[in-house]
Amino acid sequence: MPENPTSVRLDVQLGRLRLANPIMVASGTFGYAREMAGLVNLKRLGGIVPKTITQQPRAGNPPQRTVETAAGMLNSIGLDNDGVEAFIARQLPYLAALGPAVIVSIAGKSSEEFVQLAQRLQEADGIDAVELNVSCPNVSGGTDFGADPSLCERVVASVRRACSYPVLAKLTPNVTNVAEIARAAEAAGADALSLVNTCLGMAVDWRRRRPVLGNVLGGLSGPAIKPIALRIVYQVAQAVKIPLVGIGGIASIDDAMEFFVAGASAVQIGTANFYDPTATMRILDALPDALAELGARSVKEVVGTIGK
Amino acid sequence: MSTPTYADHAWHGPVTVDENVCIARDTYRIRFACGEIARRVLPGQFIMLRLAECNDPLLGRPLAVYDVSADADGKPHYLDVVYLVVGKMTRLLAETPAGARLESWGPLGNGFPPTPAEHLVMVAGGIGQTPFLMLAREYSGQRTYGDPPRKVPPSKKITLCYGARGSEFLACVEDFRRVGVDVQLSTDDGSLGHHGLVTELIAPVVERSQWPCRLVCCGPEPMMESTARIARELDLPCQVSLESPMACGIGVCFSCVKKIRDSSGNWDYRRTCVEGPVFDAADVEF
Ligand SMILES: Cc1cc2nc3c(=O)[nH]c(=O)nc-3n(C[C@H](O)[C@H](O)[C@H](O)COP(=O)(O)OP(=O)(O)OC[C@H]3O[C@@H](n4cnc5c(N)ncnc54)[C@H](O)[C@@H]3O)c2cc1C
Ligand SMILES: Cc1cc2nc3c(=O)[nH]c(=O)nc-3n(C[C@H](O)[C@H](O)[C@H](O)COP(=O)(O)O)c2cc1C
Ligand code: FES
Repeated sequence: MPENPTSVRLDVQLGRLRLANPIMVASGTFGYAREMAGLVNLKRLGGIVPKTITQQPRAGNPPQRTVETAAGMLNSIGLDNDGVEAFIARQLPYLAALGPAVIVSIAGKSSEEFVQLAQRLQEADGIDAVELNVSCPNVSGGTDFGADPSLCERVVASVRRACSYPVLAKLTPNVTNVAEIARAAEAAGADALSLVNTCLGMAVDWRRRRPVLGNVLGGLSGPAIKPIALRIVYQVAQAVKIPLVGIGGIASIDDAMEFFVAGASAVQIGTANFYDPTATMRILDALPDALAELGARSVKEVVGTIGK
Repeated sequence: MSTPTYADHAWHGPVTVDENVCIARDTYRIRFACGEIARRVLPGQFIMLRLAECNDPLLGRPLAVYDVSADADGKPHYLDVVYLVVGKMTRLLAETPAGARLESWGPLGNGFPPTPAEHLVMVAGGIGQTPFLMLAREYSGQRTYGDPPRKVPPSKKITLCYGARGSEFLACVEDFRRVGVDVQLSTDDGSLGHHGLVTELIAPVVERSQWPCRLVCCGPEPMMESTARIARELDLPCQVSLESPMACGIGVCFSCVKKIRDSSGNWDYRRTCVEGPVFDAADVEF
């Protein structure tokens, strides 16, 4: 007999961060949430990760910034944002009033910049956690923190000291051994790991003998990268004890369930927000029944239950 | 700085193709029922259209709303989109039969502001005529759009300067003539109308006009840039509707940016989907 779906518990714990449900939206794919208010019931989301902020405003990369590829897209947005002060003044009050956990994504060019950002955010109200974007392929040097275990460990440890928020480290798939980086982030005290950022790629216009993107290289996202993201979640789940957040090509309840079973305690929806703006709502609608189908009464009961 | 137009009144869902007909070379008009969008859309706003549950092409494509028409009860019900086949999605769209399902969201973007225009001069290149039919209907006083309907003081005259590669690509000309628009054509190959660039038609229209002119322009970027320059030289107000490629259409991906100048003359990348697609030509850094 399947469980009564309404008795299924959807809340999840990511270290010190509690979410009402495991369906979040990924940084850079949901703007500052305000944009989506007409299409999505924002209150229902488990967590919102707004677009990554930096200390100073950044114009971002020149167009062409995105190009569609087979079942995916490449982007080289380049962290276009108005800086931390504008974020706190103009975006945070709206986000904080919504209800879902607000997980502020930050990126710095140095460990010190990450620390300064974390300290500045510490003084602001309405933040539930920070996500360290140590994996953006679109800013020179951006992936370095996420590609080197000792740098990653240092950044995570410094941010943990600099603020009292739960810390999520968002890792890049563009390394040989993600597990090694994951262990370094765990050792430094990360509450959870977000897996993964985009896969470095490129598109070529052969007629003009030119790269298609203004910034030459870009990050691949969407359904095309789901198998890579699943593989990394599965591998990292064997390597660390802290909770994982699955990200990469998730667009349906089946995709989300695959990530839970492979080892993710929560998921973030990214590119799907672009082509199916209400995807998160449909996944949320279907979640209790999908969990009940496995005889589970909570999300936790299915996380990492994959056999060989 | 302009205030963004978020998708606060947008609708998202499946739509069923009512008809999809070839109206000029590589050019089609597709019609589907969607009262939610038809009721609200303003001239110059666009929708995103996507092949249902299709992963390749994956993303929606921005397309201007060409026309809205009523159901049997007289309520806005059908949306018409006119599109040129240029790539992956439009090629598949051209093969989409009546009865097929698409996904759409909209209306999106700011659309043209209801600024009075005694002589409205619409400059279109390529497939850039598509946002202008509704604008012409509105400025001729024949129709109102929006919910609640917005009021625009009727123009004394409306001209469409419209250019394409050759006469076989010119689409919708009769629709404009039926609204009473003075249509001036140009073709690159001289097969119809003025042999040359559509922008060469602007100055003569303005010089002959008895009224102050206001320009609106949509088409390939070089043509919009040149229209902006002509407007500056003739000291005429001019708005352009940019055709920046978009991934989401709702302001969340930051792919559709264009350099836009603020009042102090500094530029910043602005999202054309929510801060445009219509901008004052003088603010656009081409
Ligand atoms: C607001 C707005 C309204 C529009 N209204 C209409 C309309 O009414 N009718 C109409 O026919 N078209 C309209 N367009 C253009 C339309 O969106 C494109 O023609 C369509 O997306 C092409 O899709 P496709 O898959 O067929 O082509 P694709 O396969 O995506 O590409 C076709 C061509 O466009 C180029 N291209 C693709 N992506 C980019 C990019 N990111 N940057 C630069 N070049 C790129 C490709 O190199 C290729 O040459 C509008 C665009 C905007 C922004
Ligand atoms: C246009 C775009 C912009 C992005 N911007 C950011 C960003 O600012 N910070 C970040 O951590 N990740 C960013 N990402 C990565 C996503 O958050 C996500 O990790 C990745 O796209 C994989 O998930 P998906 O396949 O569901 O999109 C961006 C992705 C896209 C497509
Ligand atoms: S198309 Fe995504 S922000 Fe404009």
